[in-house]
Amino acid sequence: MLDRRSFTLALAAAPLYAGPLVWLASDDAALIEAIADQIVPADDAPGALAAGVVYYIDKQLAGPLQRFQETYRTSIPLFRAACRERTGREFTALPFAERTAFLRSIEDGRSPLAAFFAMVVDHTMQGYYGSPEHGGNRDEASWKMLQIEDVMGGHQH
Amino acid sequence: MTLPPVDVVVVGAGAAGGIVAEQLSLAGFQVALLERGPRLQFDQTGHDELRSQRTTVLGNAFGPDDQHYVREVLGSGGKAQKVLPSEGAYNNIAACVGGGTMSYGAMAWRYMPQDFRMRSTYGAPPGSSLEDWPIAYSDLEPYYTRAEWEIGISGKAGAHPFEPPRGKPYPMPPLPFNQEATLLAQAARRLGWHPFPIPMAINSVEYQGRPACIACPHCVGFACEVNAKNSTAVTAIPRALATGHCSLRIGCVARRIVVDAPAEARSVEYFQNNQLYVQPARAVVVSCSATESARLLLNSSEKRFPRGLGNRYDWVGRNLQGHAYAGAYGLFDQLVFDGLGPAARIACCDFSHELPGGLKGGAMMANEFIRLPYLFSRQVLPPGVPRWGREHKNFVRTYYKRSIGIKAPVQEMPVFESRVELSPDLTDSWGIPTLRLSGHRHSHDLEVARFIAAKCEAWLKAAGAVRTWITLPGSGLSGGQHQAGTCRMGGDPKTSVVDRYCRVHDMDNLYVIDGSVHVNNGGFNPSLTIQALAYWASAKMVKDLRKA
Repeated sequence: MLDRRSFTLALAAAPLYAGPLVWLASDDAALIEAIADQIVPADDAPGALAAGVVYYIDKQLAGPLQRFQETYRTSIPLFRAACRERTGREFTALPFAERTAFLRSIEDGRSPLAAFFAMVVDHTMQGYYGSPEHGGNRDEASWKMLQIEDVMGGHQH
Repeated sequence: MTLPPVDVVVVGAGAAGGIVAEQLSLAGFQVALLERGPRLQFDQTGHDELRSQRTTVLGNAFGPDDQHYVREVLGSGGKAQKVLPSEGAYNNIAACVGGGTMSYGAMAWRYMPQDFRMRSTYGAPPGSSLEDWPIAYSDLEPYYTRAEWEIGISGKAGAHPFEPPRGKPYPMPPLPFNQEATLLAQAARRLGWHPFPIPMAINSVEYQGRPACIACPHCVGFACEVNAKNSTAVTAIPRALATGHCSLRIGCVARRIVVDAPAEARSVEYFQNNQLYVQPARAVVVSCSATESARLLLNSSEKRFPRGLGNRYDWVGRNLQGHAYAGAYGLFDQLVFDGLGPAARIACCDFSHELPGGLKGGAMMANEFIRLPYLFSRQVLPPGVPRWGREHKNFVRTYYKRSIGIKAPVQEMPVFESRVELSPDLTDSWGIPTLRLSGHRHSHDLEVARFIAAKCEAWLKAAGAVRTWITLPGSGLSGGQHQAGTCRMGGDPKTSVVDRYCRVHDMDNLYVIDGSVHVNNGGFNPSLTIQALAYWASAKMVKDLRKA
């Protein structure tokens, strides 16, 4: 059963992450979500996918992070092509371990996709560990994992 | 539009400007206090890590905003790059009533007597413009005391052998040690060091009608939700307004200072809601922070002052400095996090001066303020831990409450080439030429930083850390929240910008009162020194204005 506080938060948080997408195309969002799921995978605590990180990235790319739109716009097709070339498949169609291996291969500074991936890592961490009001960290998932939901301000994030 | 004259215009309602406005208006002078930012309430800024003063990835809750402001930074290749306020390279402090004191961590340090005599004590290393201040610690001491009592500082007088002489104890007892501080105190004593509670501009008891700290952890980077943190926005500025002699004008962006008679500032031109105002005054005080104060002087050039006001000898904007932060992190088997703020509660000054091996200066070492989760996930990573993936997540969840950081603001050796200039073509949204930053840290800073970082690491090991690693500053230009030095105080007009009372050398009635005048920046957070200087300079201004 939800206690009063969680219930209030659930109500307050609901419209923030429920979409719809405001900037990313849905297939691009699915790709970013799959990458974010690698960056913060689920275990017994929610990962980036369950925490709605892609909604953070989508919402902020249409707002304060809009200067990075161009990088996303140009890098997503390159990412897809590189993945097909290396693995013969779409990134989202790969099993988890093969996704990890592909990301490791582009992480190297020599890859033209390294800077883009580093950016997605950063944006994913923001979305996962930052305040739910920005579209990610659904139900304060990361704060609960760290057991800091009370010191993170409770009613006033 | 030309406004009716006032006695004094103060540009910038921050750490210093708020105090100058208070002191002049208490003395009966009519003051116009201009602030480019808003007057913020806690509810407008909240506890949002991604828009805090520390992590500005989604913008800076305390300003300035990315829509109206821009700067450029000269890279090593000589190419100028545009930077926005939310980007680190902008070297922002804040743009709001209270300035940096709204969102600072509120450490309230006095510099040490040696900090005012750096050149005499150590000699300048090659490539540094290191100099003595024209005033001594003893000159400023009564004003440090005054700042401590008027702003409200909690601390323990006589708590360590390196404390300089003081006229009075602190007005409030120190905040009690939290779990980290208790652990670190024992460790420091085992090392033969002298730990003590950090002096803080945070109420440990009710003071001046505002409450004691509620021990929430959101001090640094945020406003205080109960106003227990003593910014000028809740201390000096309300007292200035209560006199009825001070007019606080927000959203006012100063364009230039107009000089009339041979050496007199006559007025300040500023924009408010895109309307240009001219505010005539008997005296003008520039308190915009080291980067913006220099910019305003440079932007006020005219026939008789073609290089900008106070800049006859090319010292305005020079010697930009901050601190070269050194530090260490330690991981522990046991929980060391109790969530009590301010987390930073313990310091040692055992390595502030007189280091071995010919090292000049040093740093106070203190445990770190809370590391909020996003910053932790990016920055508190020992070598070898992946930056992402399952192992990264596990690291964060395991060590978020089992880690301690020690940080030390290493005193920088000023570098003449590290500077603020005007951009040749870039303007802010009011069409005012913006500034260009360039320069580097002195290599000596890194030597001192290595020494200090090793001490930070030793402290953590003594406290039982199972794994430790050091953090070192980069070699790029310094400034940021502790920015200082760009309008150096000195006795010789050929090698400084203002005199010992912060008056611009070749001007009768123009003052720069903020961190710009620091000859060097000590090995401490600078706000209390900025405030002591504001009391010191205001006292002289009051005398001069009464004579005139």
